[in-house]
Amino acid sequence: MTPFEIGLIALAAMGVLVLFGLWVPIALMVCSFAGVWAIRGSSTLAGKLLALSANDTLQSYYFGVVPLFVLMGFVVSESGMGRDAYDVANSIFRRIRGGLGLGTVGANAIFAAITGISIASAAVFTRIAVPQMLRHGYTARFAVGVVAGSSVLGMLIPPSLLLILYGIITEQSIGHLFLAGVGPGLLLACVFGIGVVLGAIFLPSRVQPNRAAAEEIPGLTAREMLVKGLPIALLIAFVLGGIYGGWFTPVEAGAMGAIGALVIGFAKHSLSLAALWRVLVETGLVTAAVCFLIIAAQMYAKMLAFSGIPAGFGDLAAHADLGLMGLMLLYIAIVVVLGMILDSSSIMLILVPIMLPVLAPMNVDLIWFGIVTVIAIEIGLLTPPFGLSVYVIKSTIDDPDIKLGDIFAGAAPFALMMLFVLGLVLAFPVIATGLL
Amino acid sequence: MIEAGMTAAGKVLDAVTQALNVIGSALIVGLMVIIGVDVAGRGLFGAPLPGVPEMVSLSIVAIVFLQIPAAMRGGRLTRSEAVLDGIIRRSPGLARWLETVFDLLAIGIIWVIVSSTWPLFERAWTRGTFVGAIGDFTAPTWPVKFIIMLGSSVLILQFVLRILRRFLTTDEAST
Repeated sequence: MTPFEIGLIALAAMGVLVLFGLWVPIALMVCSFAGVWAIRGSSTLAGKLLALSANDTLQSYYFGVVPLFVLMGFVVSESGMGRDAYDVANSIFRRIRGGLGLGTVGANAIFAAITGISIASAAVFTRIAVPQMLRHGYTARFAVGVVAGSSVLGMLIPPSLLLILYGIITEQSIGHLFLAGVGPGLLLACVFGIGVVLGAIFLPSRVQPNRAAAEEIPGLTAREMLVKGLPIALLIAFVLGGIYGGWFTPVEAGAMGAIGALVIGFAKHSLSLAALWRVLVETGLVTAAVCFLIIAAQMYAKMLAFSGIPAGFGDLAAHADLGLMGLMLLYIAIVVVLGMILDSSSIMLILVPIMLPVLAPMNVDLIWFGIVTVIAIEIGLLTPPFGLSVYVIKSTIDDPDIKLGDIFAGAAPFALMMLFVLGLVLAFPVIATGLL
Repeated sequence: MIEAGMTAAGKVLDAVTQALNVIGSALIVGLMVIIGVDVAGRGLFGAPLPGVPEMVSLSIVAIVFLQIPAAMRGGRLTRSEAVLDGIIRRSPGLARWLETVFDLLAIGIIWVIVSSTWPLFERAWTRGTFVGAIGDFTAPTWPVKFIIMLGSSVLILQFVLRILRRFLTTDEAST
């Protein structure tokens, strides 16, 4: 057998094992180990490569960003800043039809600028926004849908764990990736907002059938706005301003952001020591799971290099004459399908190493490619059968009347809007790269 | 009798797992603090802390391998459960064997990590390999290699315990 064939068999075996429920990092390691063993005929070499992946991959200063930004995100969620963002956004949008929905989108956009994990946004806003929307006569489907949809902003608007991972595996500047996420993130938030308002005006029975019965939402006084809004604004300015002002490296920004969030949380008396410990343990578990996956992906990338699969696919793509757009559409289709069974980091770590060599001869802007990848992956988080964000909402929400199907149905319009924005970013890369 | 021994062994292992988890979490705080001191020292007094990049790069490896057994135990290792759940509903017996095959695969591959990290550890220990620059800041690399083997070994034991729990106890809920 040629190395190429062995590589394909290893990939297929990996797919089957993952589908049947083997842990993704274990599947990556086992199949890559077996693949290298079969290609080079040496189990010692395969073992050495695995040991190198485990020992050397993470031993880099830049991996410090992972636990620090995750910690910052969890501290921010725990210290009630999501609630503050929601109050501020609602106060601004309260006179508009669909105001609470718009407020949820706005609050998610603000919250996204201080946290980097979609799952955190989904959990926080399920607890805060869904009950309030239900009280004001919105349908349950719309309420959970808008939370699911706008939670994806967390991965696009910096800081973002997915963009950090992408930067690490493709050796692109994390600072540039963050900057490139701003345009598409804000565009997506605007499209969501317009969609919510149009829905509230033209399809009131689907959005807010009991609008007349709902009491008016009281606005905040200027002082309240300042008390709730200022800490968040300071934190955003501190972290992002620190990176782009040249004060901090992204790693340092993560640490300073976590410290800043802790200071705000303790100053507001909204963060107890017990909560802090819980958050720390949670951070450790998320970091370990993500980094273990990175180690496995490193071994997998070595196997791919030995098998020559990326080069083979590159030849195929060149002969098939798909052109860049055709190739991108095919890639996005695969990403969205994988998003239905896998979590976002796994998809990125599995697909991007195959795609990079294929894209290399086409002079693709890898920053733009990263943004496209993240949006496509996040669409998968909203689509059945296994959209992850939707499951988080289901497990956070304490209401057996709201079925999984309702959440998927509610999220569907938002997935379509994301597809629309993805199309725009594909057609006009300047949306992502304009700020660079 | 076997069950009692099993439960005791399980408790000890879970306690060790928990202890590694606590050390790992403390390391994250440490990471945050040294970077904070470094930034403050550089910005306010023009005196950065020496060796911070080296300490960050070594401790991140340690954090991951200290936490990975707890992450596995807590069901946090990434997996796609939908098909497996379907199999559990239709044929619990088949699902038990499938899970056992998965556990064995995991034990095998993690053992490869442990056994092939051992020579790296030995070399780092005998030759005193370090990171950093002499005269400024140096840190030995052997403790990190040791933590990789320690964390992986506890992870292996956790997988073994999953198999034992599955076949030796009547209490299905514990797995």
